[in-house]
Amino acid sequence: MQYLLIIYGDESLDDPVTLQEITAAHMRLGAELREAGAIVGGDRLKPSDTATTIRTAGGAQTLHDGPYAETREQLAGYYLIEAADLDAAIAWGRKIPGGPNYAIEVRPIWPI
Amino acid sequence: MDAEAALDAAVREAGDRIRAALAIRFRDLDMAEEAFAFASLRAMETWSRDGPPRDPAAWLYTVGRRRAFDLGRRAKVRTSAVLDAPEPAPDPESILIAAFEPIPDERLRLIFVCCHPALAPEARIALTLRTLCGLSVERLARAWLTSEVAMLQRLTRAKRKIRDTRIRFEIPEPDAWGERLETVLATLEIAYAQAYEDAGGTSDAAGLAHETLRLSGLLCDLAPNEPEVLGLAALIRLTESRRPARLDERGAMIPLSEQAVALWDSRLIAEAAALLRRAAQLGRSGPYQLMATIHAVHAARRETGVTGWADIVLLYDMLLAVRPSAVAQVNRAVAVGEAQGADAGLAALAAVSDPARLAGWLPYQAALAGLRAQADLKAEAAEALRAALALRPAPAERLFLAHRLGELGA
Repeated sequence: MQYLLIIYGDESLDDPVTLQEITAAHMRLGAELREAGAIVGGDRLKPSDTATTIRTAGGAQTLHDGPYAETREQLAGYYLIEAADLDAAIAWGRKIPGGPNYAIEVRPIWPI
Repeated sequence: MDAEAALDAAVREAGDRIRAALAIRFRDLDMAEEAFAFASLRAMETWSRDGPPRDPAAWLYTVGRRRAFDLGRRAKVRTSAVLDAPEPAPDPESILIAAFEPIPDERLRLIFVCCHPALAPEARIALTLRTLCGLSVERLARAWLTSEVAMLQRLTRAKRKIRDTRIRFEIPEPDAWGERLETVLATLEIAYAQAYEDAGGTSDAAGLAHETLRLSGLLCDLAPNEPEVLGLAALIRLTESRRPARLDERGAMIPLSEQAVALWDSRLIAEAAALLRRAAQLGRSGPYQLMATIHAVHAARRETGVTGWADIVLLYDMLLAVRPSAVAQVNRAVAVGEAQGADAGLAALAAVSDPARLAGWLPYQAALAGLRAQADLKAEAAEALRAALALRPAPAERLFLAHRLGELGA
């Protein structure tokens, strides 16, 4: 089964050394996922101030400058992985690096 | 034996095991529940007519398994429209052959699935009691003081999450074992605490006490080398042993140190002592064993007539080192008051962190009132009692606190 591991991070983190360390850790995790044959896809996203949200209300669409929800922790990236079960997916999720405060949401993919 | 008695006996003896074996085999809790219900219904029909079989449990498991196969195939037909060859109808021979296959013991696996940390904490114990112990949704709803609809939703949501996210139906790996076991124990602890709240033991929540007692004993059989499992089972037994002594004739709470020890259940106390000895032999201490030992020191008053307060203080110190909590700090202060005098107790209570937050917390005000009364500070004790009463204690404790306030004559 495929799982989406969604990374919500604090965008105010801007210490270049820390960011560099986190990026390197992501590279190592990516290699480990490829080694295990578990990676399907994944990417880092540009900051949430680059987001545009298309809202549909009562059938009418409007565009908004900004992310879907203005929260401290923003969608920062994702991994799409193949795992035997939720426990295996959570085990990968625990390995995803980040700053001092961040969250990983683990969601199974609903196959079409 | 008639059909109903035979079925009752088989369900009582082997119900857990059959339900767990079905759930684990088919990886589907709903289907297992339905298959077990079907087997019970079919048993009533068949056994009334032909008499109970030689091995009623094996009969139930075989028929339940067959039903689950059918249900699984039907679900497959619905979702994929691919027809498998139909399974041959059950004949006496196949049922006989199946009866010789022992029912696998999957109870521990099922407990780990139901108490998975990815499930909502309030769903875990309800799911365990429903799928393993077979408690009705109606009974669970009454125990949690919620509606049947809400309880059913809670259970359905948890079961759907297990299925849709594919939670693992295995005993946890060694590296996750400790954390997962802790979740199971905490789940049981919370369920028992809920049951304990009702001192009279007449409500539906108190009915849970019996189930958590049984479940904790089952866990000891399934994980006999886990000292904390034994510790929690001992803790629940010791606490439960005092239930007959917890209320006076007016329904007011009687504090532990004033309870009539003759009313304590000596069988439960002896069981707990044996569990704690076994746990000690495993040589790994932990919070549940320490809490149980504190209660065991209290229980010893039944034999010795005195409470070893100094030992209790020591045990609280050890407990606070591994599992710090405000409850333990407050209880420790009360024990210090008994062991070293009211002034020392009050000093220990004053050292409990964050007094501003504690002011609105019932156990703190009750302990403060007790220690002040002990120190003969009547007006101050009355003040704490009034503060405690303002925090809406449960009826039994309210009566007790009000009585104490009357005694102070303040």
